[in-house]
Amino acid sequence: MIDKIMIAFKSIGKNKNRNFLTMLGIIIGIACVIAILAVGDGFTKTMTKGMGTHNDKGRVTISFEASSYDDVTSGFTKNDISTLERVSGVGHVKLDSSNTAATAKIQYKTKQESTDLNKAPKHLKLYKGVGTTIDKSDMSNIFISHDLASRIFKGESALNKPLIIEGNVFIVRGIYKVSDFNYRPDIYVSKDVFKQLFANQITKNIARIYVQPNVNKKAVGKRAVKQMKKFGEDKQMGSYSVSNPDQISKTFTKMMNYITYFVALVAGISLLIAGIGVMNVMYITVSERRKEIGIRRAFGATSNDIRSQFLIESVVLCVIGGLIGIIFGYVLVAIINAFLPFKAIVTGYSLAISLSVSTAVGLIFGFIPSNKAAQSPLVGLLKEE
Amino acid sequence: MLKISNVGKSYGQFKVLQDIDLEVADGEFLAIMGPSGSGKSTLINILGLLDQDYTGEYLLNDKSYKDTSDNFLSRIRGDQLGFVFQNFKLLTTYNVYENIEIPLVYSKTEQHNKLERVEAVIEQVGLAGKEKSRPSELSGGQQQRVAIARAIVNRPKLIIADEPTGALDTKTSKEIMDIFTKLNQAGTTIIMVTHDEEVAQYAMRTVYIRDGKLYHDAKDVFKND
Repeated sequence: MIDKIMIAFKSIGKNKNRNFLTMLGIIIGIACVIAILAVGDGFTKTMTKGMGTHNDKGRVTISFEASSYDDVTSGFTKNDISTLERVSGVGHVKLDSSNTAATAKIQYKTKQESTDLNKAPKHLKLYKGVGTTIDKSDMSNIFISHDLASRIFKGESALNKPLIIEGNVFIVRGIYKVSDFNYRPDIYVSKDVFKQLFANQITKNIARIYVQPNVNKKAVGKRAVKQMKKFGEDKQMGSYSVSNPDQISKTFTKMMNYITYFVALVAGISLLIAGIGVMNVMYITVSERRKEIGIRRAFGATSNDIRSQFLIESVVLCVIGGLIGIIFGYVLVAIINAFLPFKAIVTGYSLAISLSVSTAVGLIFGFIPSNKAAQSPLVGLLKEE
Repeated sequence: MLKISNVGKSYGQFKVLQDIDLEVADGEFLAIMGPSGSGKSTLINILGLLDQDYTGEYLLNDKSYKDTSDNFLSRIRGDQLGFVFQNFKLLTTYNVYENIEIPLVYSKTEQHNKLERVEAVIEQVGLAGKEKSRPSELSGGQQQRVAIARAIVNRPKLIIADEPTGALDTKTSKEIMDIFTKLNQAGTTIIMVTHDEEVAQYAMRTVYIRDGKLYHDAKDVFKND
């Protein structure tokens, strides 16, 4: 075995250029596998971390789903809070919204559209304009996103232009950029304006119930939903249910599956092409070394010895390619990390997968050429020069 | 050592070998002479268990290997036979040591024994100090010595040499034949194919082959013409 591995290294070394080109396919394939698995693993880690906070101990979440999409105003009310707080086992209740922004119709000259809107955050980095937040004193000031500015104002500068939102005139005082990975609405208005005009849009459709210590929160959640179905103020407008963390992980698993299929596809295609390259180079090697095969056979090598020698050579070739691919994979991950909102991580498991995949490619695509080498008739081989 | 009776081989209608009867005793040095195309190499391939496609009977040490598996035959070749070819058949990318080592790889010789065995045969054929040389850096005679060292490294009982001096000048041929003679004196049976009268003189006995027929006496060769 060690002998054969040494022979493999030796003959691979004899044709460095040719073999390196063959390995290139494997290197690229494995680097992709490493990178995509790292993104997948990093994503999983970030998501599970996020789910951990969502799924805090001692807290159960009840959500309201309106039966009609047009009716956005229904949800939990102040009276519902007291109803919920009377349920046994409940500590206190907080209302929240799953909607992060309100929607509004906007108009500039003849151009109209519907867009997301929210109250301005305390601190916002402006791309154009002065200041970091909207001055309370001037209620007509708004900030808009760069995207919206170029959509609505086309070539013109949007700064200090009037914009009509739901019939009220506002002045654009600042423009901000939105990165691809962070959600921001297209318009920020001042806190007071938002409260007056749009707050009712952000329906309180989530009730977070903080249960008393040593109480089964699942049972509390069930009782709370039962109470809401009876006494909820908007019970006619929709339905109440306990938010199931399993449901979140189900959609999450589904998403992860798609990512996995994508990995399989990319890896599969690149490694298939790489494998064909390996097969080709092994065929060439076998026909170039007919004399060597003949000599080895005459001096005691069985056809199995010959088969395993070429098979080992094919595997060694692929594993070297795989190892180089892993190094390139690390580089690729470092580059990807510069652009990702979360951190892609290379795990031991993805290294193991990469190495087993490259071994498998070597075995599968080396098999037919190795068999050809093993089954060549001996007398013919010894006539070779 | 070996006995063949009524051995024949044909490619379609063409009979390469017909009714060959030959017996070789232990410790014998036999020369097979004949012109090219006479069937010498075919006969030697059969004797060397390299070609199993023949009619008749061949017993090596009283055993027939006609129906033996290919894998088992390989082991027999590795353990009991040693081959020397006309064109040396060395691996050009391997050095002298590595070339000689080949049979030991397949006889599962332990690593530390390997070194000892290879060094011993290198000494025996007079190539000490050339271990790291490539075949291309050696003269024809030296290359054939490497080939002989490779043939004897597994200590075979029988050496089969196909025109071992065919590519060498007379002086070098003599040196190579001296090595063969020494090996034979030490008890190794040798069967050598040659078309060189002078070289055949080193053998104890010479048989002749012509148009696929074997003659034990030179007088009989042209009898049927």
